[in-house]
Amino acid sequence: MQKDMLLDFKAEKVVTALKEGKRLDARKVDEYRELKIEKDIYQNAEGSAKVTLGNTEVIAGVKFLLGTPYPDMPNEGTISTGMELIPLASPYFESGPPSTASIEISRVIDRGIRESKAVDFEKLCVKQGEFVFIGFIDMYAINHDGNLFDAGSIAALAALTEAKVPKVEDEKIVKGEYSGKLKLKRKPLLSTFSKIGNTMILDSTLLEETAAQARFSVATTEDNFVSAFQKGLSGSIKKDDVDNAIDVAFKTAKEIRKKL
Amino acid sequence: MATEKEEKKVYVNKKGLRLDGRKIDETRPIKITAGVLKNAKGSCYLEWGQNKVLVSVQGPREALPKHTANPLKALLKFTYRMAAFSVPDRKNPKPGRRDIEISKVCGEALEKSVFLEKYPNSQIEVWAQILDSNAGSRAAALTAASVALADAGIPMKDLVTSVAVGRADGKIIVDLNKDEEDAPDAVDMPIALMSNSKEIVLLQMDGLFSKKEFDEAFEVAVKSIEGIKKLQIKALKEKYESKEFEQASKLSEKALPKQPSNLLEKDLPKQKVDQKTGQKKEEKKAEVQ
Amino acid sequence: MKKIVVPGEIVTEQRKRTGEHVYLQNGKIYSDVIGITDTESMNASVVALKGFYIPKENDIVIGLIAQELFSGFLVDIGSLYLSFLSKDSVREPLKRGSIVSVKVIKVNELNEADVGDTRVFYGGEIFSICSIKIPRVIGKNASMLDALKRGTNCNIIIGRNGRIWAKGGDTELLFRALKKIEKEAHMPNLTNKIGEFLAKERK
Repeated sequence: MQKDMLLDFKAEKVVTALKEGKRLDARKVDEYRELKIEKDIYQNAEGSAKVTLGNTEVIAGVKFLLGTPYPDMPNEGTISTGMELIPLASPYFESGPPSTASIEISRVIDRGIRESKAVDFEKLCVKQGEFVFIGFIDMYAINHDGNLFDAGSIAALAALTEAKVPKVEDEKIVKGEYSGKLKLKRKPLLSTFSKIGNTMILDSTLLEETAAQARFSVATTEDNFVSAFQKGLSGSIKKDDVDNAIDVAFKTAKEIRKKL
Repeated sequence: MATEKEEKKVYVNKKGLRLDGRKIDETRPIKITAGVLKNAKGSCYLEWGQNKVLVSVQGPREALPKHTANPLKALLKFTYRMAAFSVPDRKNPKPGRRDIEISKVCGEALEKSVFLEKYPNSQIEVWAQILDSNAGSRAAALTAASVALADAGIPMKDLVTSVAVGRADGKIIVDLNKDEEDAPDAVDMPIALMSNSKEIVLLQMDGLFSKKEFDEAFEVAVKSIEGIKKLQIKALKEKYESKEFEQASKLSEKALPKQPSNLLEKDLPKQKVDQKTGQKKEEKKAEVQ
Repeated sequence: MKKIVVPGEIVTEQRKRTGEHVYLQNGKIYSDVIGITDTESMNASVVALKGFYIPKENDIVIGLIAQELFSGFLVDIGSLYLSFLSKDSVREPLKRGSIVSVKVIKVNELNEADVGDTRVFYGGEIFSICSIKIPRVIGKNASMLDALKRGTNCNIIIGRNGRIWAKGGDTELLFRALKKIEKEAHMPNLTNKIGEFLAKERK
């Protein structure tokens, strides 16, 4: 697909401004854009949410299906997470099988949730060794203006906090009936930074991502644990960058959790 | 609520009302908004009953792969996809045969309406993402897609408007919902027209219909489509229509009093002499178009 | 009287000369886009409210060099395809990313353009608006362009393809003024409104 030459041209301005510690939209380097969360918007989903982070928009929906557990974990259900980068969000997203970018975003968001043990997998067990719930978290990018990672992470978590677990009778899901809300043990959130020059900036716009040499995401929990790391792109980061990112992540994720 | 006895459902009762209280010629509530996606040339968000669909238009741009390009006209690629959470039983994201068939017939429906010859060698990509559904999602997708194409400024003959008509309890009904699709004598007939000429650009049918019933269903569809088209037009116009525009449009240009073209003359400093004098010459050349 | 029409809506049932964005069928003239038509005009035509840039001969456009070839360059002019710029017509050094204004020399039936008459620009900002609104940015006798230059003190070069290059002066204010013009291009009295807007917002 034809690259947008204008993006490259404008990205130079990002670099110049950052040399003086400024961002083009006047944000601080550790500041999120305006965040809006709408919950419970799709009736067929067991939980759903739409997140708007600046101009970036992502939707998420949760569906529970019954499945058989792994033989070595007979009393545990699980989750499955995915984000699709669909043409609605950008003229550069094409139809077809998931791109490497979408697979990376999906797996990083999944790791943040899974490793923090936010969802109690034992509570998803319906009949030991036979039936467990698989919680599918499906996300779709609706508008791409950077940081689909964090927008997706917030949307996934918001949908999970709303999710109702279906009632099961005779080893089948009873449509329209629920046994209660899914109670989360932790509320993990991803915070993603772009490294431009020597500066790590939080929540990049598409233009800032275009100028970035490296990307770093960290998932944090409300009790100050880190549940995922991901360094992306072909540049490098320093240990100081990681330390700084973790500190910023703990602080900013706390503020976002208040909105959930 | 699960009942012990299997009660026979009455799809159209003696008062002519359906399960959800609608009359037989009544569609579910429809809400249409054009121009909702910032990264798309044209877009439309449509709610139809429980159905929610978001459509984007990208292009016209170079047709790829190159060997598929048509030197006489643009290709129109329509993709219909359902979000995994848009249906009661989670749908596998991988497109199924139903998705592919619907994409094909909807694309072909739109092709007739667009002046494709204006953009040879290119492709126009329409993406319809269903976010929530309850029967009639393809009519919703197609109706929204036509609005999105108009929103993109792509020249076309007429809008395409779609609805599903059918039968339940022996009566011809408009816009079946999911419960009605399960009626024992159900017929489901999605249809789309360019309503000016009543040209049928999409027609499918599932069920057992007599020719007479089809005739009646077609008339009912035409009437329903008239009403839905008004909503499409309203959605396209509402961004531009305003009291100010209405008042101004009533006066012809000649009637307006002559205004000085530059109110700021007295306020402004003298126009600075351009330091890069080389540029100044070019400026003059560029601005006289 | 001006009114907004959509594709398939009747512009007139009278016999008139046809202009842009209309088609004739069964003796009636219909619009093929969403746009504005003047029912009092002698011509039946529609000015589109949305659209994209298709190159026309003699247009001056703002582009970015996308690729260097043996015999020339490919220029991104924000249209359906990249345009070809022959090396013969280039006097200054160009590379990928260079900002140029070029003139459209030839357009073929596939809407592919050859361009020439290059001028290079350094630095500055490039703003994009819908190409259909460019005549409003220029205005009658360049009145709007004048107002913009005086109100922002910027050097401004306007491309028919919807791209505007600007340098010096208050480019941020220019950006907001351009967005306002784009949004209200169909409204009357716009030049005065923009003049007032610029006077109010100037620091």
